[in-house]
Amino acid sequence: MKGSIIWNAQRYSSILILIYLIYILSFIVSNDEINFFSWSNFFLSFKVRFLTSIVFIMIVMHAFIGLWTVGTDYLTHRTLGFLNKSLSRRANLLRNTYFFIFVSLGLVYLISILYIIWL
Amino acid sequence: MIGNQLHISLYRYNPEEDKFPYMKKYKIDKPKKDIMVLDLLNLLKEEDQSISYRRSCREGVCGSDGMNINGKNGLACITPISSVIKKNKIELRPLPGLPVIRDLVVDMTEFYNQYEKIKPFLQNETTAPEQERLQSPEERDKLDGLYECILCACCSTSCPSFWWNPDKFVGPAALLQAYRFLADSRDLKTQERLESLSDPFSVYRCHGIMNCVNVCPKGLNPNKAIGEIKSMLHKNKKDIIVSDGV
Repeated sequence: MKGSIIWNAQRYSSILILIYLIYILSFIVSNDEINFFSWSNFFLSFKVRFLTSIVFIMIVMHAFIGLWTVGTDYLTHRTLGFLNKSLSRRANLLRNTYFFIFVSLGLVYLISILYIIWL
Repeated sequence: MIGNQLHISLYRYNPEEDKFPYMKKYKIDKPKKDIMVLDLLNLLKEEDQSISYRRSCREGVCGSDGMNINGKNGLACITPISSVIKKNKIELRPLPGLPVIRDLVVDMTEFYNQYEKIKPFLQNETTAPEQERLQSPEERDKLDGLYECILCACCSTSCPSFWWNPDKFVGPAALLQAYRFLADSRDLKTQERLESLSDPFSVYRCHGIMNCVNVCPKGLNPNKAIGEIKSMLHKNKKDIIVSDGV
């Protein structure tokens, strides 16, 4: 994949997340009383549910890019070699385990969010 | 006498004798006038012939004596001790991130591999004119701040992204040179050069922390050049092909 696609994906997703936060905050500020019913009604609208779903997909993608960068920086044969030779030999295993854990957690997080929003 | 003595802590490692690197302490009388760090090393070498370091031009042109001086990379030959000394102490280490051959001498193969990767020469397959390929003064101006790099490696070895991925991230020095040829109106391989830099590591591992700008002994700005390369990579293919033909 092109570096520019990843670079753009991370930046545009963060802008979208910011816009969503401002949208939610503006709802909170513009309503005198926030209770369960007003909050539920707000989230019953298709527009809000759709936007929320998109934003959470963006959050997971944004986190994935960041964590992938951290993993490919710090969990490598070379970087772990600064700490310990035995860790260095297991760098690929450690990095793949790390990727598997955060991808799994990200998917569980995303599925839970979509389930809560839509069902 | 303590105030009149310089305390030097020097990184020592001889792989033939030492199992691990260590810091060796030296004390010398404070020179009466301000001298360069390289002169200080020369004084130490008179005391201890086993100290190893690179040097050549001793005037900031060859880039041989790049080292870590009190925590900041720089050229020993143009760094006055008065500018780095702290409580009469100076700590000298090799450039960080590269394998140490001996004492302050590092193996720069990874650095030069990245330099080689960006093809640091003009590529123009059109018929050569009788004398030379001409540039307008404006086109020539674009190369200022780029061609002056002496490849001392101070910038690349102060960059954490280069420490972690020296085989994949091109590094600030080579990227500055990559932009030097991308910005050159006489070079016609812009598209190919950009293609070779378009992966997620070569350029995009630069997170703009500006260490390279902070340490460059020639006062250059690799971070700006990297920003320009990113801008070029973000332009669409059509734009790049059009600019190729200019």
